[in-house]
Amino acid sequence: MVLTCPVAMGRTTRQDDASELSRRGLLRAGALLALGGAAAPLTGCGLLDRDEPPPLPDPLAPLLDESRQLAAGLRAAATAHPDLAARLLPLAESHEAHATEIARLTGAATATAPPTATAAPSGTPPTDRSATLAALRRSERAGREAAIRPAPRRPPSA
Amino acid sequence: MSESAEALAAALTAEYAAIWAYGPVGVRLSGAERKAAAEAEAAHRARRDALVVQLSTGGGSVPPDRAGYALPFPVTDRASALRLAVQVEERTAAFWRAALPVSTGADRDRALAALVEYAVRATRWRRSAGIAPLTVPFPGRPS
Repeated sequence: MVLTCPVAMGRTTRQDDASELSRRGLLRAGALLALGGAAAPLTGCGLLDRDEPPPLPDPLAPLLDESRQLAAGLRAAATAHPDLAARLLPLAESHEAHATEIARLTGAATATAPPTATAAPSGTPPTDRSATLAALRRSERAGREAAIRPAPRRPPSA
Repeated sequence: MSESAEALAAALTAEYAAIWAYGPVGVRLSGAERKAAAEAEAAHRARRDALVVQLSTGGGSVPPDRAGYALPFPVTDRASALRLAVQVEERTAAFWRAALPVSTGADRDRALAALVEYAVRATRWRRSAGIAPLTVPFPGRPS
């Protein structure tokens, strides 16, 4: 491309606004032409035609999984240690109520089966009673900290 | 006044009542339970002070405290004191829960922290009182 307008060399003050605008305009036009020329074949072959992004998981999904895991762990521990059932089963029922509510909110009610007594998330609960309680206590505390952590906001849908 | 300020003002009235209620609770308890009651009262006082500062500096109206509050039942012994402590925490938690949907940012975080703290404390009082079940699935939610 040949610039046909005069180009000022070594000039520190603007003396010819018309020529300056003209040079800028030419540069802009050249850039647009270059972009257009490059983009046209790309759009033609579909490289810029992106598919719709997959839907993001609901921000409450981890909380739902955690509630179900906590409930399952409590039920498994109550099965392994029947003397703890009276203490543990009400907690399991609370977590199950949380999971049901979260599932209702997120529309995941039928996505996952409710936890069962044999669906311990981390395998067989410890056989030792105190170790079982300690492990459950750790899980409960971790769950509480996760629950009060601000959930990431879902980006607005386009 | 905004919805958030109204909810915080309501939470402040609940904190006033909680502080007052821990007076008759504390005198019926002893040992570790009395210490726990004193710590609970201090926590409610801290939240009251923070709310007063926040509402007054934010241009909102600060509801006044009352000279006294009607107890839901006579507090005459340890058992009734523990029952009242459970109710105090549950009812105060309900006010903070009501503040959650109308608050944002740091206000929402504080409301959630108060709700969780009072729910945990209510569970501890239930355990001391031998009340079953120990927990409720949704603390502070109207039944």
